Amino acid sequence: MADYTIKVRRFQPESGEGPYWEEFNVDLDPSLSVLDGLLQAKDRDDGSLAVRCSCRAAICGSCGMKINGQSGLGCKTQIGEAQELADKQASAAGEGGNGTPIVIEPMGNMPVIKDLITDMESTHWTKIRRVTPWLLPHGEPPEREYVVEPESMIDITQSMACIQCGACVSSCLSMEADPGFIGPAALAKAYRFVGDPRDAETKERLHDLAHDPHGIYDCTHCFSCIDACPKGVAPMDQIMRLRRKAGEEGIDDPNSGHDHEIAFVKIIEKKGTLDESLLLQESFAPGFKGKLKPSKRAIREMLGSIPTAIRGIKTGKMRSLHKLIPGVHPKLPDQDDVKAIYAHAEEHSEEFNLYIKGEEGELAEENVEKGIERSTDPDTAQEVKNG
Amino acid sequence: MPSHDVLVIGAGLAGQRAALAAAEEGVSVGIISKVHPVRSHSNAAQGGINAALNPGDSWESHAFDTIKGSDYLGDQDAVEIMTREAPEEILHLEHLGVTFHRNEEGKLGTRAFGGASAARTYYVADITGQAIMHVLYEQLMKYSEQIARYEEWFCSSLALDESGECCGVVTRNVADGTMELFQAKSVILCTGGNGQVWQPTTNALICTGDGIAMAYRAGAKLMDMEMIQYHPTTLAGKGFLITEGARGEGAHLLNAKGERFMEKYAPNKMELASRDVVSRAEQTEINEGRGFPDGTVALDITVVPKKRVHEALREIVLVGRDFAGVDITREPIHIKPGNHYTMGGVKTDVDGRTDIPGLYSAGETACVSVHGGNRLGANSLLDTLIFGKRSGRDAAARAKRIDASRPSKKVLEDEEQLIADIVSREKGSGRRISEIKRELGQTMDSKVAVFRDEAGITEALETVRRLKEEAKTAYIDDHGSVFNQDLIAAIELGYMLDNAECTCVAALERKESRGAQYRTDYPERNDEEWLKHIDLEQTDDGPQLSYSEVTITQWEPQERTY
Amino acid sequence: MAENIKVAYWPGCVSRGFTPELHGSMALVAEKLGWELVELDRANCCGAGVIAEHNQELADTLNARTFALAQQTGLSMMNICSTCQGAQSECQQRLDADSAYRAHINEVLSGQGLSYEKDKGGFTNKNFLWLLVEDYGLDRLREQVVRPLSGLRVGPFYGCYIVRPKERLGYGDYPDRDIYLEKVIEALGGEVVEYDGARKCCGFPVITMARETSLRQAGTHVGDAIDAGADCLVTPCPLCHLNLDMQQPEAAKVVNRDLGLAVLHLPQLVGLALGAEPKELGMAKHIASTKWVEERLTGVAA
Repeated sequence: MADYTIKVRRFQPESGEGPYWEEFNVDLDPSLSVLDGLLQAKDRDDGSLAVRCSCRAAICGSCGMKINGQSGLGCKTQIGEAQELADKQASAAGEGGNGTPIVIEPMGNMPVIKDLITDMESTHWTKIRRVTPWLLPHGEPPEREYVVEPESMIDITQSMACIQCGACVSSCLSMEADPGFIGPAALAKAYRFVGDPRDAETKERLHDLAHDPHGIYDCTHCFSCIDACPKGVAPMDQIMRLRRKAGEEGIDDPNSGHDHEIAFVKIIEKKGTLDESLLLQESFAPGFKGKLKPSKRAIREMLGSIPTAIRGIKTGKMRSLHKLIPGVHPKLPDQDDVKAIYAHAEEHSEEFNLYIKGEEGELAEENVEKGIERSTDPDTAQEVKNG
Repeated sequence: MPSHDVLVIGAGLAGQRAALAAAEEGVSVGIISKVHPVRSHSNAAQGGINAALNPGDSWESHAFDTIKGSDYLGDQDAVEIMTREAPEEILHLEHLGVTFHRNEEGKLGTRAFGGASAARTYYVADITGQAIMHVLYEQLMKYSEQIARYEEWFCSSLALDESGECCGVVTRNVADGTMELFQAKSVILCTGGNGQVWQPTTNALICTGDGIAMAYRAGAKLMDMEMIQYHPTTLAGKGFLITEGARGEGAHLLNAKGERFMEKYAPNKMELASRDVVSRAEQTEINEGRGFPDGTVALDITVVPKKRVHEALREIVLVGRDFAGVDITREPIHIKPGNHYTMGGVKTDVDGRTDIPGLYSAGETACVSVHGGNRLGANSLLDTLIFGKRSGRDAAARAKRIDASRPSKKVLEDEEQLIADIVSREKGSGRRISEIKRELGQTMDSKVAVFRDEAGITEALETVRRLKEEAKTAYIDDHGSVFNQDLIAAIELGYMLDNAECTCVAALERKESRGAQYRTDYPERNDEEWLKHIDLEQTDDGPQLSYSEVTITQWEPQERTY
Repeated sequence: MAENIKVAYWPGCVSRGFTPELHGSMALVAEKLGWELVELDRANCCGAGVIAEHNQELADTLNARTFALAQQTGLSMMNICSTCQGAQSECQQRLDADSAYRAHINEVLSGQGLSYEKDKGGFTNKNFLWLLVEDYGLDRLREQVVRPLSGLRVGPFYGCYIVRPKERLGYGDYPDRDIYLEKVIEALGGEVVEYDGARKCCGFPVITMARETSLRQAGTHVGDAIDAGADCLVTPCPLCHLNLDMQQPEAAKVVNRDLGLAVLHLPQLVGLALGAEPKELGMAKHIASTKWVEERLTGVAA
């Protein structure tokens, strides 16, 4: 048992007052959760402390909250570890040492209804519905099951693992800057359909999400959602897969997202290291066509970057020729080796997903086969019954 | 007054399935849930769902396993319906988009589960319940025109009309505290079980037996309330569930001596014997001193190939790591039997009808009975879907047949008064809700659990009755209208106490051991006197007992060994 | 702590492109600290996460090549860019997780006389910040300080790729990696300024595709640091530097306020404390003027 102080961001909508902090003293085993601490405070001290919770086991997704600034589930955060983090943050800021209060706040990017309860409907669920979150199969279903690649079902299990807790939405930095961003939870949900062979609107979904300025190219690639997610869904990775699939479907978005990706890839193939000015040019006005008939946006962006370039030239950052003129950047001495890598990778394009493959085990493949056989073969099960 | 043809209370698997089935019939549907639907406890059902879909399998085989598993208390006509309709339901789910596991041919793949003679459990990794429920919720979002969702609305009392038919429910909008009287031609109770009556339990905090109590208070019969399942593998202390799927993949149970003790109790099925058999085996090992000091035995998953663990038991890896500090691929994890499931509940027929016209029930709330004295793993999900569907259809059919009845405003006024009374209680006027709840949970877990006897159950019943009195003066801290969880906890406490009282009375009455009920003072099964259901009805003097027959179609009761 | 720091040095693309002052100041600081940097001048771009988005195997192979080139020197690797750290660590995690996959990647490298070996000789890839704290040591760093940065209020800006996701950036073994900048600032005699954006995103990855989202982030974080009283920011990532410094005037327009906060590269901050002059460290090349920083430091003799 240990003593902890939890500092909760409270808000009573009927009081007419603004949000305020309240500290509670709780005592519990360090291995118990922050939620356990909150419930103890609620049971013992103040039953009006409002927090959504149900399963206590990181399955229902009710108790999303921010603990020491980090979005996650209250039931999955050990209070002992939360204390360590609070102490570490305090020491980094040059304050205090041990026993720093553990700061608990409602999830971010959402309106707060009361105490730790946020309005998920207006933010989270509205965006989930934005991506048409139900299967859109083609025609009539078959008599028995749809036959699909086993890997495809395992692949989308990662998205399916999402418990809709909102921690990713809470932590999303793009959404902080752009509240209209469709967001990690909804886009991870979108991948669940894009990756499902039974869904017939893959291209339409990708087109929609690539073209939307608040869609897949509005993700600032900050990994916050990956860190926040308690189930390993890795929403940002799903967004990147959506980008890749959009590219594979030949979808060219007006946000320059795809063009930027291709420009970067091509530059490294040609030069080995990045030519920044060429990247800028090729993102907006790619290739021959892009320069022959640049879009309005391309013109606007390119013109808009001139002041920045001028500043760079003035201070001496960008004086050398190869920085100013796109394409003059030198190649690597072994650029052919880099090209060979491209050829090999383009042939295979293997996607190694750690969530699915896991780290290498010690047991050989054959044991795995035996294990699966035994559990699915009705005859073997029959033997067990008789024997 | 909000009005629907069919009103579903509870939005777990049974409730969502009922709502979708009713909507298919073209009637207006409303679904009410005290939490957001995806928070429902169905998402904790990990292992899988049973169906005799394999060409080599048969629904009769599945039915027999279920009936034997129920220790012959299951109504065989209901079981036949469930196992016969199971294959179609699995395919229906797959067509909606459930991401079931596949075999190499890309067809639905199975895993082994407890009490089953063949591998017939279909699954999605170890998140089957979650996966199915989320797909059903996707469908609810798709059909949001036809199905009105009332998310975070709490139901406190059913409304009956003058002829005693159910015509609505009193509900509270949790977000702002407004009380509403809903009108409906059919009401389906799908509020799950009552696990929170016991501490610890695998069940979520929301599993407080709401529907069972509401039906009971409205005058409906409850059945088999003494049949409470203790799951063999739960974490000590917190009560978290370790899915049966682990044993299905080959995990072993070991006592403190390292012995695979199931050899003594179920030499054929070993760890995959029926849950009550395994729970009793474990408890016996613990009681006789062969367990660990923390009152547990060990589940050894290290014998399962790591790749398989990663594919199909990922949740357990996380639970082990996050809540027990154990890497289950490297060392055994300590477990013990824990409260898990309510076989009993509101008595219904095979179409979900209770003995109150217009009132239906499905899922864990209901007792058809398909699970009888003990539920097989992976049959619960099936139960919710088959009977959720049937209730939905029948409720819709009824709605098309009859005219609406208007519930009297008095019900609403009475509830508002009750709530006002609770809110007005002075601080310190009695005990705190959480204290009463804790005492209830500990009492039930020690006296009405795996092993029971007359003295113990009687003491428990006395305690429950005393706690019921104390609950009348228990005070709350929150007097507001917005998200008043304190008030809801007070109402839920009332539900739990009613549930507990019924369980004690029924457990006391059944003087035999059958399924999950094991009386050390009546250790044998006694088909001659006790092959029957125990029913309960509310009276002013407490629960009144009666009996009903067990329907037997093909399978005469036999000795039950594994 | 390592006796003498000698590493295979991957300078990254941008330090030799639009932030040349980073490349120059790193060379200067290495000399002052007595670190030997064996530059990997044949190595290729890390992909910055963009190539991985396009073709994961391609990114993994490109970085395996860089690791292999480093391993050829028999030394561990150092980078001076949060983005390189993150992008390379992501690839390394996959390469290390599975021998079959690694062998597949090594197929094409073997044709070039290269091979990436897991854990060869304790091979690591660490950012300058991590090396400074973990291998060189803060005590030793303190001893080298010739001009303590007293009175200089510094806001740390880490860059997403070096702080998330924790599980693949070694936070299990080194849980304090996300407060190293604070420790370094203090060791150099400076004053830490905490502000909201320290571990948030500068917005660089979306500057071409979601310009407003990008610059709003940069502008907000710079603004928050100013409001918290910072004299400058310090960052271990040149891509962050591009959005925070080079784009600062544009960011100011988006957030509709005056900014004008100096943004230093980590080697520049260290270099100042080791006695180097602002001009030597290329600080005159910055877009957001560093004059204020220089003023704060004058009067403190080198």
